Amino acid sequence: MEVLYHFFHRNLEELLKCIFRSLLVMFWCFEMTRFEILMPVCFSSFAISVEGLSKIIINTGQDIFIEGCDEDNPYVAKVTRLYGDGESYSHKLGFVQWFIRVSELPVNKLKLLGREPHPQEIFYYECRNCDNEVNVESILRPVKVKHLDSNDPFPDSADKDTLYVKLSWDSKVFRVVNSTVVESPAEPAPASSPPSCLKPSLPMSPSCSQSAATPRGPSRRTPANVEAESLHSATKLSASKCLSAKRRNATARTPGVRKRLELSSECLHKDFKMQPLCRTREQQGYIYISNTKSYHHFLTVSLIFLQISPGTPQTPRHATPSIPIRSLQTQQPANILEEARARLHVSSVPESLPCREQEFQDIYSFVESKIVDNTGGCMYISGVPGTGKTATVHEVIRCLQHAADMDEIPSFHFIEINGMKMTDPHQAYVQILQKLTGQKATPDHAAVLLEKRFSNLAPRKETIVLLVDELDLLWTRKQNVMYNLFEWPARRHARLVVLTIANTMDLPERIMINRVASRLGLTRMSFQPYSFKQLQEIIMSRLNKLKAFEEDALQLVSRKVAALSGDARRCLDICRRATEICEHSAADPSSTGLVGMSHVMEALNEMFSSAYITAIRCASTQEQLFLRAVITEFRRLGLEEATFQQVFVQHQALCRIEGLKPIGVSEGLAVCQRLGACRLLLLEPSHLGVLQRIRLNVSQDDIFYALKAD
Amino acid sequence: GNASNRCVYEQPVSFSVSYSEIYLIKCSLFIIHVSVQVQQILRERFCERRLPDRLEGVEAQYKHLLELLRRTAIHGESNSVLIVGPRGAGKTTLLQCVLRDLQKEEKVQKNLLQVHLNGLLQTDDRIALKEITRQLHLENVVGDKVFGSFAENLAFLLEALKKGNRSSSCPVLFVLDEFDLFAHHKNQTLLYNLFDVSQSAQAPIAVVGVTCRLDVLELLEKRVKSRFSHRQIHLLSSLNFTQYLERVWTQLSLPDSFPDKKFAQEWNAGVKTLCEDKSVEEVLQRHFNSSKDFRSLHMLLMLCLSRVSVAKPTIKPADLLEASRMCFADTTANMLHGLSILELCLVIAMKHLNDVYEGEPFNLQMVHNEFKKFLHRKSNSMYNFEQPVVMKAFEHLQQLELIRPVDGSSAKVQREYQLMRLTLDHSQIMEALQKYPQCPTDIKQWAMSAFG
Repeated sequence: MEVLYHFFHRNLEELLKCIFRSLLVMFWCFEMTRFEILMPVCFSSFAISVEGLSKIIINTGQDIFIEGCDEDNPYVAKVTRLYGDGESYSHKLGFVQWFIRVSELPVNKLKLLGREPHPQEIFYYECRNCDNEVNVESILRPVKVKHLDSNDPFPDSADKDTLYVKLSWDSKVFRVVNSTVVESPAEPAPASSPPSCLKPSLPMSPSCSQSAATPRGPSRRTPANVEAESLHSATKLSASKCLSAKRRNATARTPGVRKRLELSSECLHKDFKMQPLCRTREQQGYIYISNTKSYHHFLTVSLIFLQISPGTPQTPRHATPSIPIRSLQTQQPANILEEARARLHVSSVPESLPCREQEFQDIYSFVESKIVDNTGGCMYISGVPGTGKTATVHEVIRCLQHAADMDEIPSFHFIEINGMKMTDPHQAYVQILQKLTGQKATPDHAAVLLEKRFSNLAPRKETIVLLVDELDLLWTRKQNVMYNLFEWPARRHARLVVLTIANTMDLPERIMINRVASRLGLTRMSFQPYSFKQLQEIIMSRLNKLKAFEEDALQLVSRKVAALSGDARRCLDICRRATEICEHSAADPSSTGLVGMSHVMEALNEMFSSAYITAIRCASTQEQLFLRAVITEFRRLGLEEATFQQVFVQHQALCRIEGLKPIGVSEGLAVCQRLGACRLLLLEPSHLGVLQRIRLNVSQDDIFYALKAD
Repeated sequence: GNASNRCVYEQPVSFSVSYSEIYLIKCSLFIIHVSVQVQQILRERFCERRLPDRLEGVEAQYKHLLELLRRTAIHGESNSVLIVGPRGAGKTTLLQCVLRDLQKEEKVQKNLLQVHLNGLLQTDDRIALKEITRQLHLENVVGDKVFGSFAENLAFLLEALKKGNRSSSCPVLFVLDEFDLFAHHKNQTLLYNLFDVSQSAQAPIAVVGVTCRLDVLELLEKRVKSRFSHRQIHLLSSLNFTQYLERVWTQLSLPDSFPDKKFAQEWNAGVKTLCEDKSVEEVLQRHFNSSKDFRSLHMLLMLCLSRVSVAKPTIKPADLLEASRMCFADTTANMLHGLSILELCLVIAMKHLNDVYEGEPFNLQMVHNEFKKFLHRKSNSMYNFEQPVVMKAFEHLQQLELIRPVDGSSAKVQREYQLMRLTLDHSQIMEALQKYPQCPTDIKQWAMSAFG
């Protein structure tokens, strides 16, 4: 009791942070009354045994493997505390200190290491907000973790079960870690020495065999006399191998080969004074009962997983795609106009996004609150192209990342996918999984893994912020991709925030079926097209007091673009083009060196004026005549469509009027095809010859206007 | 020179040759050599195998494009641009010239990767991506599999481009020929991604689209359109006939660097007189009226050039007239010359049916009746044919696509009653009859009569 008290006392502070409120109340009770009431009980070790195999004893302070998504690379952690919870303490939990594998590190952070990581290297994980409570059932087996000094070489060891720690990782930087922190205080207890006295353990419940990683619940009581299955042959495998093989078999099991697998946890006290109680059957596991009477418990640990995580197919080597490095340095902008052009390029990232303060604030507070509360949620953002939707979200993420770096909010993981950047909606799963864990999988498999990840209480979870750009392209007939994206945030343990972006405001109503739209929720935001004042402000802020434009010129651009689309990209592109025109006309002595009205007008004309009129003016005489013939024939027929044959008759007549030699049918067809290729005319397929029908793709007025001005 | 040429070609060279004969052979060999050179230079020019040293009439466009691509290469500025112009206007030539001149600059030489795609070859994004990977020499990075799946390829390429940045990675120039066809790819994935890269801080790229469609922007999806910079370089030639004539002259004349100066002078003088000839001018005017593009002009000049031989080392006005006649020849009317009299009669009967029923479709039975009416009334030279023979002739006309079944009427109907339309214009029929060898007079009269 005394020991335990100290034990509790020492860890109380840490516990207070981590355990549920209900537990806290119990601890308070304990503190105040020192009576034995229902409360979590701490153990110093558990034993796990499999039928016919040597059992595993897990002590506090020991390094262990913990069931993860990837079977070949289970999570590594050190047990800091073990305790039982719930009625009769049947629900056993452990607090762990995580280690992180190289493969679990974010791919983009690996370069911070500055060297090639050793395959058996792990990092001491220092993260405040990660979940360090695990189900004891998910423990696989002990593992050796060795500390190495940061300068020591990695020993050449074929032993797969020895892992090496040199550095610690706190999701931002690597640090050298002290050996005392890492090394296990005690070697694992020898599993080969069974205690002499045993007590029958409680059999396991099949209900436990659904998923070890399911959250703690009151339904964990284990009804008696239910057998779990075991491997049908007691091999000399280690228990963990046996278990994982067991899991593999679970999919293909047949009722005929049901044998027993009995796993019992053994609670060992820190003083390790065990009193063997009794032993009934060979096949059953062992249970140690401490001499402190009040802590006699029969505990079982079920270790059955039904969920199979097949080995993910990993590419033999990670291709590192990159564009070759340029041989010559880029030139820096030499004058004001070039500088202005560089700043006005859409790609240059501005320091702040003007005119989107309100939207920024809304998104920021939404995401921040979700991160702080450890919950999930969806948000739908709409707006026409070029109104700064993606840029604002990126800005929000940048700020949040900064806040996380400053330790103002818990750190989070940002993932971005884009419907246009994938070949098929189902690739969304693959990309999310890839960015989350670095694993590669087929779409179906990725969906399964993600489903598992988001629905289970998985260890070491940060909040994930997922940005889904161009949401409308993720539409499928069954809408299952969209459904999942909006379903996951609502899961209790998902800690997923989904921000979706699309162009149309009524996308949820238009293309989503009810169950998808309902899950998306009502958190919506729409980005209005920029007004001319906002556009002007955007350019001004980008130029940042660089005097390159005349005041009027800027106003003209912003007014013109605001009237047309309100697309900031267009606005910037026009300004950029205007600087070029200004540069070319710099030789003109009257120029002030600033971009003026005339330059902007020219740029606007280039970009917005239709080329049809010029094209008609530049067409050859016969082509112009043919267009006139088309209009004449349309007038005669009173229709907007005619066959080539009909038009050709008119054309011949017009030729005679104009005093030109009439052309042949072949030549006439060639003229017609040329006009069709430019899309001045719309034509039927050319194999129809003289029977093909003709329509105009320009208005008759345009043609008259273009031809009259001659 | 002419006499000696004839010598070479018309007489077999005897073994006992006199001194003067050896001299003649030497001369003729030299002339053959010169003639081959002329053919080579001009043919390269007309087949657009060799880029012109200097572009005419498109200086502004040239400068715009050159500046744009130079900025990409030197400053790492991403850009996108469309070159729009009718077929044969010199869009590709412009681009090639710009690239050639750009590559001459030292700063650019090793700093520009090029990817050339063509909408007619890369018919979907999957093929296009593989081609891009191949042209960027990224395929050996992909690993054991030379090319992964479509999705992997896209992710791979985007990753590659994303890794780069403005100052350190090598700029990539994407040339998309027949740009409008890329707009028909599913979701316009490739275009979206290329334009998106060009508008974000990734590896610097320049996207140059080449197309002849004036309405190409309307094909782009709104998100793709927003990401495109809206720069369009229009190649619409506003050249007049004098410039056109000058162009003909420069195209035909030999360069100063031609080895045989004397021959070059003679040739150029010959070209000058040719261009000043009234009949030649008339022919060229007609061509100019029909189309201003240089490809059709090159076609015409090529036909002229092929009539130049060692024996006749100049282009005569007659050559041009003949070439022009070939260019303007009506292909369908020419096909009528090869028809049998019966088939011709059927075509005339169809023409009359068209006149009477104002272009309504007809069937074999109607045509045969019309033909029989003609035989009954005034034929002297023709006899009636059996129904199967007429049917055979009718089918032959269909095979030649001179007649075409009306859509949707095929299959179920008996062949005699299948509705057909004539794909010939009346003028073509009349023209063919004029030239038809030994056409019976009564048939001609029948064709010309206003009604059957």
